[in-house]
Amino acid sequence: MWDVKEYLIATNPAEAVEMMAAGAGKGRYLAGGTDLLLEKPACDFVVDISRAQMSEVAVSPEGDLFVGAAASLEYLANDQAVRDFAGGAISRMAAWCCNRPVRTTATVGGNLCHAMPSADMAPVFMALDATCFVMGQDEQESLLLTDFFVGPRQTVLEGRLLVGLALPAEAAHWHCAGHKLTRSAEDISLVQVAASLGVQDGVVENVRIVLGAVAPVPMRSQLAENMVAGLKIAEVTPDILDDAALIAAGEAAPISDHRASAEYRRDMVRVLTRRMLDEVLDRARKGDQS
Amino acid sequence: MSPVKKAPPAPHRIMGTPPPAHDHEVVGKNVTKIDAFKLARGEPAYTDDFTRPDMLFAKVLRSPHAHARILKVDASAALALPGVVDVIWHQDVKPILHTRAGQSYPEASPYDTVILPEKARFIGDRVAVVAAESLAIAEKALDLIEVQYEELPAITDMHEALTRTDVLIHEVPDPRGIGEGGRTNVAARIDRQVGDVDAALARCDLVVERTYHLPRVQASHIEPHVAVAWLDEDQRLMVRCSTQVPFHLRRVLARVLEMPEARIRVIKPRVGGGFGDKQEMVLEDLVSVLALRTGRCVRLEFTRAEELIAARYRHPQVITMTTGVMKDGTMLANRMCVLADTGAYGSHALTVQGNTGQKVLPMYPLPNIHFKVDTVYTNNPNSGAFRGYGAPQGCFALECHMDEVARELGMDRLELRKKNHIRLGDTDPLSVKLGDNKPGLVRIVRSTGLDECIRRGCEAIGWDKKQEPSQPHLKRGLGMALAMQGSGIAGIDWGAATVKMNDDGSVNLLVGATDIGQGSDTVLAQLCAEELGLECAQVVVLSSDTDVTPFDVGAYASSTTYVSGGAVVKAAAKLREQIAAILAQHWDCEAEDIDFAKGQAVSPNGQSMTMQEVALHCMYEAMMQPMASASHVSDDSPPPFAAQFADVEVDPETGQTFLRKFVSAVDCGTVIHPLMAEGQIEGAVAQGIGYALFEEVLLDREGRVLNPRFLDYKIATALDIPAMETILVETDEPSGPYGAKAVGEVPIDGPAPAIINAICDALDGTRIYQIPATGERVWRALDEKRKDH
Amino acid sequence: MKLSLELNGRQVEWDIAPGETLLGALRDHRQFSVKRGCETGDCGACTVLLDGQPVNSCVVAAARCEGGQVVTMEGLLGDPLMQRLQKSMVDSAAIQCGYCSPGMMMSLYSLLRDKPQAGEDEIRHFLTGNLCRCTGYVKPVAAALAVAQAQGEQS
Repeated sequence: MWDVKEYLIATNPAEAVEMMAAGAGKGRYLAGGTDLLLEKPACDFVVDISRAQMSEVAVSPEGDLFVGAAASLEYLANDQAVRDFAGGAISRMAAWCCNRPVRTTATVGGNLCHAMPSADMAPVFMALDATCFVMGQDEQESLLLTDFFVGPRQTVLEGRLLVGLALPAEAAHWHCAGHKLTRSAEDISLVQVAASLGVQDGVVENVRIVLGAVAPVPMRSQLAENMVAGLKIAEVTPDILDDAALIAAGEAAPISDHRASAEYRRDMVRVLTRRMLDEVLDRARKGDQS
Repeated sequence: MSPVKKAPPAPHRIMGTPPPAHDHEVVGKNVTKIDAFKLARGEPAYTDDFTRPDMLFAKVLRSPHAHARILKVDASAALALPGVVDVIWHQDVKPILHTRAGQSYPEASPYDTVILPEKARFIGDRVAVVAAESLAIAEKALDLIEVQYEELPAITDMHEALTRTDVLIHEVPDPRGIGEGGRTNVAARIDRQVGDVDAALARCDLVVERTYHLPRVQASHIEPHVAVAWLDEDQRLMVRCSTQVPFHLRRVLARVLEMPEARIRVIKPRVGGGFGDKQEMVLEDLVSVLALRTGRCVRLEFTRAEELIAARYRHPQVITMTTGVMKDGTMLANRMCVLADTGAYGSHALTVQGNTGQKVLPMYPLPNIHFKVDTVYTNNPNSGAFRGYGAPQGCFALECHMDEVARELGMDRLELRKKNHIRLGDTDPLSVKLGDNKPGLVRIVRSTGLDECIRRGCEAIGWDKKQEPSQPHLKRGLGMALAMQGSGIAGIDWGAATVKMNDDGSVNLLVGATDIGQGSDTVLAQLCAEELGLECAQVVVLSSDTDVTPFDVGAYASSTTYVSGGAVVKAAAKLREQIAAILAQHWDCEAEDIDFAKGQAVSPNGQSMTMQEVALHCMYEAMMQPMASASHVSDDSPPPFAAQFADVEVDPETGQTFLRKFVSAVDCGTVIHPLMAEGQIEGAVAQGIGYALFEEVLLDREGRVLNPRFLDYKIATALDIPAMETILVETDEPSGPYGAKAVGEVPIDGPAPAIINAICDALDGTRIYQIPATGERVWRALDEKRKDH
Repeated sequence: MKLSLELNGRQVEWDIAPGETLLGALRDHRQFSVKRGCETGDCGACTVLLDGQPVNSCVVAAARCEGGQVVTMEGLLGDPLMQRLQKSMVDSAAIQCGYCSPGMMMSLYSLLRDKPQAGEDEIRHFLTGNLCRCTGYVKPVAAALAVAQAQGEQS
């Protein structure tokens, strides 16, 4: 059993932060709890944020998408606003995480704050230029998700609360695809690659290639992105894509573990990068977002 | 052997027996599985669903070292924790050598185990056990126990274990000489030959030799091992547990606790899956010791991590196959050399590996066969029994090898098999050479549907016309494998049954045979009902309780339908004869002329009674309890056969395999319950798919399990299972009850070789010699091939 | 600590440890259909409905269910859809050892309630959270499909 002394339930983010500051000893935020309950990290008290008004999704008048950190993966998989955003890439990835009963309670914030290199939701959110909203006792901060991860199981939070994420309105029109390489049908990522592509007047205005599970933190492969950025769609040849994929593989810094070797992971970055770029380009050419 | 009542053949028998006189009433019908509704409703039926108010919770402290003497255990801090009732370690328990393997006495496994060892032999070995008022307290107490270890050099590589004697994992000789403890690290050896393989190989046009690597996999029944023990009001030891072998367990408990069997009662409630992993005393001795010491009820349940570290695995093996063949495809000689890792203890070390050859090589009954085994101790966690019991390893090697031989020979792989496989009337050449710790009995094939299995399987998979890949970047392939197994262990496995009639004409069927979810209670009830002309629902089955039910070896070796079923048929026939004798007096006719069918007894003169009237007459007029017991053993172990086929697509860039269709055509003799027989096959295939593609317990060099969780020890989910087609090819086995043979194990043998053969077909000959065929292994094999060219 | 929730339609108040799982609390309160299989959220033997949705009760904090609605198999024994599902599972011989069956049926129940005519693909996706080592999922999927098809014919 998880040896905690107190279980507190917050009704809003500010109260959660206050409870965390006031609690005796070491506290942990719990949203879904699907990681905490099985890892049972040493702590004295828990602040439950599942009812802290952080579980919603909203679209601003400008078209920015706000996702509460305590929104469940199942919610993201089904919410219409999320499904409509960038062709539904986030919904598809959310629906591919863990299994149905776990998705009911597991949250996007939990997935990100847990900060596993293989965090399933990080690459698509990064590919869509997500910003994080963080709340401490006396301050609020917003930062790019790209800057959120510090190392394996380490984030910039240091006890602060991740309240939610925002995706910029322009990303809603990007073509985005993510793919997990897995050992069996339901699995965490051995390698994940997400790519997004924004096209304006036939020119690649935005391209993001994000690699998961192949570095201490989910990472963008900017050198690979540079191969494609600014080109006209018609100029993007298979050779360029092959090169971009090779460069992404070179930028990755995978480790060998019981799930896969570094060598295999690196080559799979190449394969998946090529496939994801193909997929988003194909959609861009067809003008089809999903 | 006394004859079992022979049933008329079912309509689809392929053997030349006359058409059926009448259909069976119960046998061959999909009656409702007798425990299904209560399980569907989630009623408390399993070991952990029974609680007692005075219950203590036990937890095991496990060794962090692969090989270390346990010099001292200081439990004072743990015992000082409120709620901790007892802590035991090796000084508290008498070291009585035994094997935890649940096998017939005398067990064919070395006596190399004590309840709590003075030397830890793997990371996870038992060091101390706590009993506390709650699980949380017991868990806390583990952290407070201080242990002094003297670390010893460890051996975790099986090749090293075979040659090194400077480190002995077992220093005490096995009193019965099965293992080589005290001298070497060999737990069991086999070396048997039929004919002269070397001489034959010298004559052959082609000799093919390959080596195959088999992983460590775990049964992963969803209900963990769990046991509850307490003393009843007579101070007898009650053990309720999730076991496949209640009677063997009672016997081993009696030995290690130095108590007479009469003082011990083992009760098996519903069991949430076993698959061989519960054919072993994995934790029952611990709760028993603690119950005896504390006088309290004690419960111990493994966590999933403990299941993956401290239960049992299918033995990892390295198998080298050498086959000699003539240009026309006539095979002359087979040699199978097996190196196997039993881990720290030798339960099932001899017999599992014996099966690797014995259950597999006879598929091609060549005049020259050599079968050699070295099973070694290592400082790795334990191997043991797991469905198939050595045969999946052997079948993988042999059936992959058949494809390799055919490819080198330039012959069609199916034709090579058809030319050489075992046929009706053939003698299994290895059967006499390989008994289970005693001389074997001759096995002659008296029923086989193998040709029909091949024909119908080919048809179902579309063997003649491989389909196009579903996407351009994928490659498609077909593969197949043949498999055979046994039905019980000839001359060793036996079981008994008692049938007694109640006032309403229903009967109680008491069997030691152990239903662990496979549905044996239902199958045995069907056999009993058929014999007595009752409906299945009129048979109330109790399995198994050592105080109440007669002996049975338990649920293993594909024995229950064939062996225990034989006992049920005999006991029911005896009961019928008793009733017939009484009715014959009453009706003044010959007993054998009375017919029992559809719940009635009918005399030749047209008199009839319902079974309720029969029961009332017997009990209140004749003053006699209709009741009979019978035992059954078979000198034969007729093989069920299977032909299994896989259709796969492989992504050559990622190495991933996608299984599109799997077909099993299985001859298990007469099918007693078609849906449940299919269920046995489908479940076995799912486990076989995992073996082929993603299941593997990974150890680091120190022998530490790296993936003790379902997140990383992958078993098949609903999405990993392809379209599955299961074909039952009925035959009539003369020695089986109503013509039945076994079905539980044979279908787990073929999936891995069929799938790997299909991958090889898809990749134009690139073969994986080590399973599971993970994406990375296939990717690597393709990479090596590219480098070669 | 005190925990108030609605279990199978009845308000209950339990005394629980703050770190207790919903699985532990339910089994302590005689919900025997909720099985312990892995305690890591991987096997689904402990699946129950929390506010109508399937969850693995082993990785849900009991305290998180404060004020919530929890439904176990014990609470659905009289439910017509669950009864149809149980009968279909039994008739299809989809229950072997039965240990995963209640959890599997809780998942399937929530699917067939929300999507009465779910197809095989949806059923298989839904079932990935419920590991079964006996059946290879062939007969459980067939049983769920039979219920979905019957619901399709009724509507």
